[in-house]
Amino acid sequence: MVAAIASDHAVRGSTLTLREVSHRFNFEGQPLPVLDRINLQVGRGEFVALLGPSGCGKSTLLRLVAGLDTPTAGSLLTEGRKIEAPDPSRVVVFQDPTLYPWRTVWSNVALGLEARGLLRTHRGRIEDALRLVGLTGFANAYPHQLSGGMAQRAALARALVNDPKLLILDEPLGQLDSLTRITMQAELVSLWQRSSFTALLVTHDVEEALLLAGRVVVLSDRPARIKAEVVNSQPYPRHRGDPHFVELRREVFEHLGLDEAW
Amino acid sequence: MSSVIDEVPRPSEKSGFGSFESSTPRSLIGGLSAAAAWSMVAALTAFWPDKLESDWAYTGSFAIACGVLAVALALAAFAGVRFVAFRRLQRLSPWLFALALFFVAWEAVTAKLGLLPLPFFPPPQAILEVAIDDWGRLAEGIFASARLLATGYFIGATVGFVTGVAIGWSRLAGYWIHPVLRFIGPLPATAWLPLAFFVFPSSFSASIFLIALATGFPVTVLTWSGVACVKSAYYDIARTLGATQRFLVFKVAIPAALPHVFVGLFMGLGNSFAVLVVAEMLGVKAGLGWYLQWAQGWAAYANMYAALLLMALLCSGLITLLFRLRDRLLSWQKGLVRW
Ligand SMILES: Nc1ncnc2c1ncn2[C@@H]1O[C@H](COP(=O)(O)OP(=O)(O)O)[C@@H](O)[C@H]1O
Ligand SMILES: [Mg+2]
Repeated sequence: MVAAIASDHAVRGSTLTLREVSHRFNFEGQPLPVLDRINLQVGRGEFVALLGPSGCGKSTLLRLVAGLDTPTAGSLLTEGRKIEAPDPSRVVVFQDPTLYPWRTVWSNVALGLEARGLLRTHRGRIEDALRLVGLTGFANAYPHQLSGGMAQRAALARALVNDPKLLILDEPLGQLDSLTRITMQAELVSLWQRSSFTALLVTHDVEEALLLAGRVVVLSDRPARIKAEVVNSQPYPRHRGDPHFVELRREVFEHLGLDEAW
Repeated sequence: MSSVIDEVPRPSEKSGFGSFESSTPRSLIGGLSAAAAWSMVAALTAFWPDKLESDWAYTGSFAIACGVLAVALALAAFAGVRFVAFRRLQRLSPWLFALALFFVAWEAVTAKLGLLPLPFFPPPQAILEVAIDDWGRLAEGIFASARLLATGYFIGATVGFVTGVAIGWSRLAGYWIHPVLRFIGPLPATAWLPLAFFVFPSSFSASIFLIALATGFPVTVLTWSGVACVKSAYYDIARTLGATQRFLVFKVAIPAALPHVFVGLFMGLGNSFAVLVVAEMLGVKAGLGWYLQWAQGWAAYANMYAALLLMALLCSGLITLLFRLRDRLLSWQKGLVRW
């Protein structure tokens, strides 16, 4: 299914380095520190999850990685080069699907190719991406005709069509019902395995982080600092009931300071 | 004629239509009622003598026209039983019926009873007379008005749109244009009239300027607010996908702002009608506005009503056209108002 999307290179993921990244907002005249000296090294083709309570600064961090904002201090590098502006090799799936309401699903997915003038040569990818997320029959639908989950899948297709080297996922499954969510989690993993991009996933769902990622980075409350890293080297597909999985989950909860509640 | 009146179908007579009625009795009844009402207009006009001192040249023609319409409606009603295309007429028949009653009343209180003072309230045949005898000048008037309006509106809408996008997009353009817009925009375009008529080489170009001004202000403001309201997330998406500035303007900002732009275009069109009429009355010696005033000056009230009617058709037609364009371009929106 993903053949056309995954074709080109053998190893296509890019590396990502965060060095002492700090960020502050101005909120009602007061400085609001959101990120506090984050250091992170993500290897080529790795799947890393950032786990933290809501409002701790995860989305902010992803916007820095995408190049949409510049950090107050520290630097971000990909393939050894500084991230200064957005680049289509780093594609974001935002928390909110934000499809363009005036475009059909098909032309929403076509957005990246159109923006880069590749629509004529890479047209076929759009069909592939739609098939991948199960929206083939809805190519001509407008966003207001989609359910929340379908819109989120369309947003995922819009990202995948660009053949990213780094896929940045900001709670992309947060709005899905639990059934679709489980299917999409499996889809994400197999997609990542087949196309070997580097994936950076933000989530506040401990199980999701452990199911998908090889490494879970636990963040503190705002301002976000890295509290711990939990490595999960279990093979895919992973099972929630597996004793080792349960053990890892307990460990992560402990890092989050929630062991008693659990 | 009276035999046509006899055909008025009453509910109790339904059975007289035999096999038709089971399929579409209501459309048939509606259509035939309208036909009957119009034949009544025809009969009344033809056989009720006019009030003594008046002599209206086209009374007979008007009666014949109404009679022809009545026959056509009756035929269409019968055709509707067989052909679906005619059935759409069914929806119109209550209106056609009411319109016929209006004409009966109009004819009665003017030509027949003389209750309304002349020359202010001519009968319908007088307007038909104008349409037949003076159609050349009326057509010229429509053409002149339409040309003036179209030129002015097009220029105003284009300039307004471009200015609005510029202010919404560029800080520099906003800095320089915004104060000018705030100061001059609210001034009614007609206030420029005296100045425009001596600054511009011809009254035609002056009027184009005024119409463009009246159109341009609402289009600018609404385009600007449309562009300013575009969610920043739309830009973020496009930027991460490799969009250039050009792409952001033409493929993100403008399409997202289009619903606002159309509100501006509608307001501008309304404004432009008002300015058109004033400009034609005061400066341009052509067009329907000028015809209106000329007719009033000669106490030719039938001509005035004819011009008024045509002007209503022109304006309503243009608004309809703009709605059609919007429906095409904004088909993605939910719950559009139908015109
Ligand atoms: N543009 C902004 N201006 C001011 N404060 C912001 C801005 N964006 C986010 N914040 C604040 O930064 C904090 C972290 O936000 P965010 O990164 O969205 O959290 P999350 O971890 O839930 O994704 C929040 O307290 C939010 O109020
Ligand atoms: Mg967030």
